[in-house]
Amino acid sequence: MRAPIRAASFSASLLFSALLILPARAAVAADDAGVAFFENRIRPLLVEQCYDCHSATAKKVKGGLLLDSQPGWSKGGDSGPAIVPGDPEKSLLIKAVRYLDKDLQMPPKNQQLTAAQIADLVQWVKMGAPDPRTQAGPTVARVEAKPGIDFAKARQFWSFQPVQDYPVPHVKNPRWARQPIDHFLLAKLEAAGLKPGADADRRTLLRRATFDLTGLPPTPEEITAFLADKSPNAFEKVIDRLLASPAYGERWGRHWLDLVRYADTSGCNADVPIPDAYKYRDYVIASFNQDKPYDQFIREQIAGDLLPSASESEHYERIIATGYLAISRRFSSLGEEPHLTFDDTIDNVSKTFLGLTLSCARCHDHKYDPLPTDDYYALYGIFSSTRYAFPGTEIPRHPRNLIALVPRDRYEAEIAPFEAKLAKVDQEMDAHYARKVSLDTGKERNAADAAYKKSNDERDALIKAAPKYDHAYAVTEGVPVNVPIQLKGDPKKPGREVPRGFLQILGGQKVPATGRGSGRRELADWLADPRNPLTARVMVNRLWQHHFGEGLVRTPNDFGARGQAPTHPELLDYLATRFLAGGWSVKALHKQIMLSHAYQLASTENSAYAQKDPDNRLLWKFNRRRLSAEEIRDALLAVSGALDRTPGGAHPFKPEWEWRYTQHNPFVADFPGHRRSIYLLQQRIRLQPVLGVFDGADANMATGQRPLSTTALQALFMLNDPLAHQQAEQFGARVLAASDDPIRRLQLAYELAFARPATKDELRDGAAYLKAMEAKFVDAKTPADKLPRAVWASYCRVLYSSNEFIFLD
Amino acid sequence: MAGSLVLPGIVSDLLARDAGPVADNPLAPRRPPQAAKAKRIIFLYMSGGVSHLESFDYKPKLAADAGKQVNGRTLLGPQFKFERHGRSGIEVSELFPHMAKCVDDLCVIRSLKAEHFEHFQATTGIHTGSWTVKRPSIGSWVSYGLGTENQNLPSFVVLAPYLPYAGTQSWDADFLPAVHQGMRVMPGEEPVRDLIRRSPTLAIQEAELDLLAKFNRKHQEKRAEDSRLAARIRSFETAFGMQNTMPDVLDLSQETDATLRLYGLERGSNKGFAWQCLVARRMAERGVRFVELIDSGSTGNWDSHGKMADHIPRAKNVDQAIAGLLTDLKSRGMLDDTLVVFTTEFGRTPHTDGVTGRSHHPYVFSSWLAGGGIKGGMVYGESDDYGYDVAKDLVHAHDFHATILHLLGINHEKLTYRHAGRDYRLTDVYGNVVKALLA
Repeated sequence: MRAPIRAASFSASLLFSALLILPARAAVAADDAGVAFFENRIRPLLVEQCYDCHSATAKKVKGGLLLDSQPGWSKGGDSGPAIVPGDPEKSLLIKAVRYLDKDLQMPPKNQQLTAAQIADLVQWVKMGAPDPRTQAGPTVARVEAKPGIDFAKARQFWSFQPVQDYPVPHVKNPRWARQPIDHFLLAKLEAAGLKPGADADRRTLLRRATFDLTGLPPTPEEITAFLADKSPNAFEKVIDRLLASPAYGERWGRHWLDLVRYADTSGCNADVPIPDAYKYRDYVIASFNQDKPYDQFIREQIAGDLLPSASESEHYERIIATGYLAISRRFSSLGEEPHLTFDDTIDNVSKTFLGLTLSCARCHDHKYDPLPTDDYYALYGIFSSTRYAFPGTEIPRHPRNLIALVPRDRYEAEIAPFEAKLAKVDQEMDAHYARKVSLDTGKERNAADAAYKKSNDERDALIKAAPKYDHAYAVTEGVPVNVPIQLKGDPKKPGREVPRGFLQILGGQKVPATGRGSGRRELADWLADPRNPLTARVMVNRLWQHHFGEGLVRTPNDFGARGQAPTHPELLDYLATRFLAGGWSVKALHKQIMLSHAYQLASTENSAYAQKDPDNRLLWKFNRRRLSAEEIRDALLAVSGALDRTPGGAHPFKPEWEWRYTQHNPFVADFPGHRRSIYLLQQRIRLQPVLGVFDGADANMATGQRPLSTTALQALFMLNDPLAHQQAEQFGARVLAASDDPIRRLQLAYELAFARPATKDELRDGAAYLKAMEAKFVDAKTPADKLPRAVWASYCRVLYSSNEFIFLD
Repeated sequence: MAGSLVLPGIVSDLLARDAGPVADNPLAPRRPPQAAKAKRIIFLYMSGGVSHLESFDYKPKLAADAGKQVNGRTLLGPQFKFERHGRSGIEVSELFPHMAKCVDDLCVIRSLKAEHFEHFQATTGIHTGSWTVKRPSIGSWVSYGLGTENQNLPSFVVLAPYLPYAGTQSWDADFLPAVHQGMRVMPGEEPVRDLIRRSPTLAIQEAELDLLAKFNRKHQEKRAEDSRLAARIRSFETAFGMQNTMPDVLDLSQETDATLRLYGLERGSNKGFAWQCLVARRMAERGVRFVELIDSGSTGNWDSHGKMADHIPRAKNVDQAIAGLLTDLKSRGMLDDTLVVFTTEFGRTPHTDGVTGRSHHPYVFSSWLAGGGIKGGMVYGESDDYGYDVAKDLVHAHDFHATILHLLGINHEKLTYRHAGRDYRLTDVYGNVVKALLA
């Protein structure tokens, strides 16, 4: 980044205006020649090319602009006056007909005027735009008001209706049903003349449940224990065990991190590290493990810093929770473009908690859902009244506004003075920067450069000698302010101001005008309100989706008109009702779902049913699924015995005072290791390589459902990646060490990889393969003492590569 | 099908014919919706911002007024000489003596405009049509629209020895299916991640794949209706094919001395843009739909703030190679159905930055198109006297994209993908095909 290029270019265009402008003439009283020119060249052109949309006779006046009278163009439309008499360069009309701005091209759709016509218009404006049509017609009144949204009608849409407590339906075969869930599903199956398929065997069920709840394969010991447990509630005990495992939070926390597009870097042009981000990640994992009530989970992430807390540590945890807002994506090299960061927040809040695509309303009212632009900027006001921690970027490169996590006494005595010092240097640094970029080359510029560098060095020194204290990348209250609508989403085009508040379709509550807060406290309550028709539905749908492969609503981030309607609306509401009644307990919901008969069905095909219901919307069988990127990597490590189960913690970033990240040299790192995949570094500028191959979530957007692809790169990974090979070798070594009996070894390998014993044929084939491969490895000059490991590694590579390993029945 | 797995002799076009319906194989080749001359595209991307004022847009008035102070900024005259070339007489700077010889095949656009003055956003902009949030790359869109001819190679290859601005976002499929993501190919021992066989011998790998096929067949028996299982089995065949095909594409030993000379490539070297250009031709020959070449990374590029003389080594790196590529394609009859695009993220300011350098300038800059469906030997659009703004025939980056898609037989308004409740396009809600460029 160098000098303020944008400013330079603005001055450039001013220059050209100055060169091109003819002496402006007061044009109100048009002279005869001017009027003649207008009548001959301009009026016919306007009538022919513009009146269809910009006159009293137009069916619908576009952009509020009338070109059929002088007052019409003088007053202008939504974008302001269309013509500045005497100054074509400043006249929007001229800009539009020149097609120099992609957002302003008239006549539209590539029907550009001829060069001669444009020249005439320019000439006319230069002449002062003489126009005898001085009477504004009765036309202004006919400018069509924007059709408002009929909220009463919009509320009829299913997802905006209150959640209803539907009675459990009657079914013909009640003996099949184990849970009310089964009644809802079976009723629909019976109505369609279908019957649920066979049950999954116990091994399949255990593998399914273990991956679903922990993202890991079951161990041979767990398999043995479950098979040996003949009690009627054996599976329930398994569910309880899995829900109590710390691995549960590592699996379900990951689903949440997909939604909130978690990353350890900012996403700005230099993609700078956020060393404190992991605290939010660990908070999410812990919240799932504690079965934190979902409404509280929401409140903490939106406004945790404002909630009353019982203890110091609880207060810190809740501040960390607002890292959810702070990790919103950053843009540019100069910490500019906050409107894009707020857009990222708004997009995420609406999709994650409400299943709505509110960011569509940034530039215009939502085309399909009852979400006017006002609602977007009502939320925008709340977030721009909030102070987000600043991660640093290219300029300035130091993080700012991190939140100290220390007791008040210490804060006041030690940290506040330190922060004041930082703030002072930051202020000086900003001033030096502003000065330096305002100067061209020369002595003064050199002095400003030196002063700027000096303040950076001071800042580095301060941080290097900083008192040791914990801090969070989080938010706090800023200056409460309502914001104007940005016309067409352009922050340079402010419209009318909108009071801070909530979506009108969900109640339209306003932030109290007397209050001194940003409105986050209120927003947290509106989102977590049990009467909010979306919050509970959206969340129970997410749980359902991650258990069954598809949600009851198959567009988990879009419960609007463009999303899909629920396959089982009554069931969705039943679950939402139970979720609310159960105090928003996520774990209780898991249990309810997993204890259903439907969850325990086999994934066996039925070609006749597949004809009738190819997408298995009625759930006559269980949906087979491919493991996720994290599950694949974690399973490779778990099966080989190499998985490091250390939870949580920070990434080994360089200390802040050594950072020199720019868009030319952005931060890029891997930090490999054998810990669970959720703890791998997540960057915005690039996907973590291994996870990227297997459709890991993009940390730039709210991922409600990962698209699962099958690519040659994935196959190449299994064939040739160092990680796949190392883990196959380790898997082989593990099996070799476990027993001297070749058959027992094969049995163990099958139990570890597939959670089932090998068949007789498989044992025979396996033994034959191991034997036959010896010769091939001898040919490959493998030393005799390494032969067994090499041969077993080869065999384990095949197990790892197989469809059975990577798919879950 | 599984039996064919270990026959290295399988040729790509066989698999292409066998690729099955689109539903099964998102990369199956598709006929474009409109008749088109260009079947594939080679996209030459110059990282850092090539100066329009020192390449294809000669400004005599800027030369005459050099040194004048304008609003506190000093105008910098063109730092290199321009001459007219070819029958068309198009002016090209002395930085590009080889490309100048091909000028009658080029359609030079002097009125390109983009939306952002920073490298990162400008780089994603010219690749994805978005200067703000992340979106799919143009190569991914083309792959999504047309599939590919050779199932043993990816549809979208990116020859990028260095990571450009915005990292991998320039070739990311974003919300499009991941198979449409650009595959980065680099010079060196492992040109594609995991491409090199790691099992000690081919015989061992074949044995492993045989056993895998057996496992998967048995697993599939009771799950015959799940097409994902078959697709994954096929993916191993493709991977195996790619493992063998890719080294062949990258093996330049059979190229003649004359060809190497044409590109300016030393035998045995895989350095520089010459290597990239020759590999690009070989990829194009083998049916890769979209080949992108990025000449440099986020440093050591065209970003000549301090002095425009820094353009010299950058130009040397690409000039003969690009001319060689155009000449080679032409002599093989491939230029008729290959679209070659030369572009960058923005131009450079008419005023100085540093002493004889220039800063970033998205308001007007130059690029060119050549080959399939393009009128050669023409200039389209004009900048103003100093090269500050577009003076005539604006070609916004969206128009540029719309035109490229049009040349491949795709209507940019119809190539859409439903994501988050909306139908997205490469050109957002903008873009006009520039018809004047079409042959």
